[in-house]
Amino acid sequence: MTTVALQPAARSHGTPAQRIRRWLGHNALFVYTFAAIVYLMLPIAVMILFSFNRPAGKSNFAWREFSFDAWLNPFAPLGLSDAVMASLRIAFISTIVATILGTLIGLGLTRYVFRGRAATNLIIFLPMATPEIVLGASLLTLFVSIGMARNELTILIAHIMFNISYVVVTIRARLAGFDRRLEEAAMDLGATEMVTFWKVTFPLIFPGILAAAMLAFSLSIDDFVITNFTAGSTVTLPMYIYGATRIGVPVQVNVIGTIIFGTAVGAVLLSTLLQRRDRAA
Amino acid sequence: MTALLRRYQFIVPYLLLTPGLIWLAIFYIYPSIQMFISSFWSGSLEHGFTFSLANVHNYTDSLSRYQEQIVRSVFFAAAATVATFLISFPLAYTIAFRAGQYKNLLLFLVIAPFFTSFLLRVISWRTILGDDGLLLGPLKSAGLVSDDVRILATPVAVISGIAYNFLPFMTLPIYVSLEKIDKRLLEAGQDLYATPWSAFRKITLPLALPGIFAGTLLTFIPAMGDYVNAELLGQTPATKMIGNVVQSRFLVNNDYPTAAALSFILMAGILVAVAVYARLLGTEELMSSAS
Amino acid sequence: MSEQHPSLFDRALTRRRMLQGTALAGVAAFLAACGTAAQSVAPSVAPSEAPSGAPSSGPSEALSPSPAASATPNPSPAAELNFANWPLYIDQDSSNPPKSPTLEGFTKKYGTKVNYRETINANEDFFGTIRPALEAGQDTGWDLVVLTDWMAAKIIGLGWTETIDTANTPAFAANESDNLRNQPWDPDNNKRAPWQSGMTGLGFDSKVVGSQTSMAALWTADPRWKGKVWLLNEMRDTIGLTLLKLGKDPATATNADCDAAIAEIKKALDGGIVRSFLGNDYKEGLIKGDLVLGTAWSGDIIQAQLEKATLKFVIPSDGGMIWTDNMLIPKGAAHKYTAELMIDYVYDPTIAAQIAAYVQYVSPVKGSKEAIAKNADKSVAALAQNPLMFPDAATLAKTHIFKALSADEDKYFNDQFSTLQGN
Repeated sequence: MTTVALQPAARSHGTPAQRIRRWLGHNALFVYTFAAIVYLMLPIAVMILFSFNRPAGKSNFAWREFSFDAWLNPFAPLGLSDAVMASLRIAFISTIVATILGTLIGLGLTRYVFRGRAATNLIIFLPMATPEIVLGASLLTLFVSIGMARNELTILIAHIMFNISYVVVTIRARLAGFDRRLEEAAMDLGATEMVTFWKVTFPLIFPGILAAAMLAFSLSIDDFVITNFTAGSTVTLPMYIYGATRIGVPVQVNVIGTIIFGTAVGAVLLSTLLQRRDRAA
Repeated sequence: MTALLRRYQFIVPYLLLTPGLIWLAIFYIYPSIQMFISSFWSGSLEHGFTFSLANVHNYTDSLSRYQEQIVRSVFFAAAATVATFLISFPLAYTIAFRAGQYKNLLLFLVIAPFFTSFLLRVISWRTILGDDGLLLGPLKSAGLVSDDVRILATPVAVISGIAYNFLPFMTLPIYVSLEKIDKRLLEAGQDLYATPWSAFRKITLPLALPGIFAGTLLTFIPAMGDYVNAELLGQTPATKMIGNVVQSRFLVNNDYPTAAALSFILMAGILVAVAVYARLLGTEELMSSAS
Repeated sequence: MSEQHPSLFDRALTRRRMLQGTALAGVAAFLAACGTAAQSVAPSVAPSEAPSGAPSSGPSEALSPSPAASATPNPSPAAELNFANWPLYIDQDSSNPPKSPTLEGFTKKYGTKVNYRETINANEDFFGTIRPALEAGQDTGWDLVVLTDWMAAKIIGLGWTETIDTANTPAFAANESDNLRNQPWDPDNNKRAPWQSGMTGLGFDSKVVGSQTSMAALWTADPRWKGKVWLLNEMRDTIGLTLLKLGKDPATATNADCDAAIAEIKKALDGGIVRSFLGNDYKEGLIKGDLVLGTAWSGDIIQAQLEKATLKFVIPSDGGMIWTDNMLIPKGAAHKYTAELMIDYVYDPTIAAQIAAYVQYVSPVKGSKEAIAKNADKSVAALAQNPLMFPDAATLAKTHIFKALSADEDKYFNDQFSTLQGN
């Protein structure tokens, strides 16, 4: 894909400045990409770096000295572990439910033509277009009017609600390229619809479902505005962090952030590795 | 059971849709309607609110009172979208056409910031962009920049904060579109004596449009309603966006009618923009290229 | 997602199955672990008998705290107490993970697990989250919350607090500072219990701006601090201090006074002197150096001096503001009796000294000064002499309180102030 042919010739003549310019011209895109990736990674690098900091007081914004303290006591600050556990619980459960509901909708929308399809599209799309603060405020009003106490359950409901849309969109994107002929082939070979679904369709769309689930999980674990309104007395990790920004984010928050980042990276790397071995074998 | 389903084939899609749609109906549509009703209230928390259709003036009042913030939100969101596009497009192009075996690695690196908390990213930027932080500190020490220059608490900080957060949203759809382009079309263009630039302009760019539109929408819409960036990076009255106003109206002043009216104005604006795009592309295309 | 060649099907299916299975197994295992590790706090409806036994080991949240409890007049401490407070407003020891000696002591004494959440960052924001429940007459989920005077007055005025049974709080009745008793908005002194008091004045980095004594500095376009000044986003503090600068008394502020103050602040804002309206986050800016001068809260500056010794707090020559944060029991709280026990507990002078030594605000408990002075640690004992923590009459004379606004005035003032902030 790259135009390789020209390079050997260019090396042989021109002043250093000219050669650099020529090199840049050919590789401008790569230089740019490198710079862009650095830009993307910068805040993450800062976050990870500062998790090894030992600030003089409560604010963690200036580098003072390298220390493992925060890593050895990641749940030191009051309430941090509760917040993390709450966030994880909510994320797991809302992901599972939203993925199921969303996948069903996604399947329905892509494989069938029916009346009300446009309306359904709209209903799915609207929550994504609604500002989070509106979603949060309206949900809070709902819970109060039906007499439901605000706690983890209400946060869960809210997260499932907004996750459904994202799951549907992701699934649809993946389903778009799905070749129905494979199913027809299976059925021609005598498989019933159930068997076809579980042995042909599902495995093929599973990566899409997984991608949607990962998206839902990360959206849920990171949500702040909507959670803030529907939380009642529960505190999730983003709420904890936001509160901490007023006073000084403890170093342990960076540690938790790094751990989450590392876990996500690890999971993706693992699955890629498995896929690669799978393909190579 | 499958026999039954086969007979009433037409039910199947509805069965699939129902659970999710019920959830959305109860927890999105109904509350939204309630909010809409509350935008026609007048009164206060202490004296109580009363509903009246005559209160449609809540909308006009809000529009005129918060003109500045509304315009500013549009401007910031648009600027951030443009900035994101300018940064993302070459990146997506490189990944789609030039990356070879590093494609997946690069895609992964693009999404990686997503794996950290949004708040932590903004906080990191706050650290980096501080008056004597990682960016300005060395510049000021070297004398390249005068001492009273600051980035935080200016529109630049907010726009770049928003732009940064939406980079993956813009890059991925564009990448998907670019990747789908049949390379043979480009070869055909070359065979017909097109220069690389005109091949880009006439073949690549138009075919990338669905992705560009999707990315633009995925960036512009949430950016309009953003308030965390404006609050943590903006910090100053001159950078307040409509999201901040809604939050303040709702929580600080308990002015629910105005907050609700503003929310619906914001949504209406967004829906208009989306409708325009949908006209141009069709919602199906939109949804399928957004990923 | 490209199509798979049929011959790879089997392998793809097996591999995916395995991934799928492992993932599901992993999730199941995680959830199971979560469930067993979690102390399933019995959602007792009525306050239960005081269970003996260790304070909880696995800190986790029950899925739904006990719903609106029927107020059984059963005087025994509940299994748990939900306590919301501002950040860094209670003592914290240096163990790993750190615990609050005060809360630990309470748990040891009564066996109650205290769900202490530092979730209050602004009065209005927090009120916004509990208002709907209060309006509907429901349990907010909190048994004890800490809110500033004016917000406490507002909530009390709306009838959304429980009355504190003074029979259960003898220490509070005995040890509350005299000057805090019987406020006009709590005449019988049984709707709230002060948590800490504090003063609002000038906070600055003396190394950059030198020594400042007057609010007028905030209107001077001195290059040392132009563009690095902040004002508090608490309406009563900022407008109060501005009124004092204009020579007016915040305790009798009228709408016209409000307009005058707003116009005055606008001058500083338009002149590019004032950079932001901030809450607690000014502290970080001060330490970072992005901010060098502004209106601040006394305890914050004292705590911040540990990180930056050149920070100073002064009460402006024109006068400063004084305020109190109060413990309230929201109406419908599930564990009212236990909340009263907590109120009483922190009014013990020794406990109060313990808290004050850490948060470094003004303790409302009589006898806390003496208790601190007796502390074995010299640096802690020295705090007893700190006029910002134990203000003498002279210091107090320089402070003012803000008028208790009527609902309409409150709306007016807040609207004007919001507009000023661009909200």
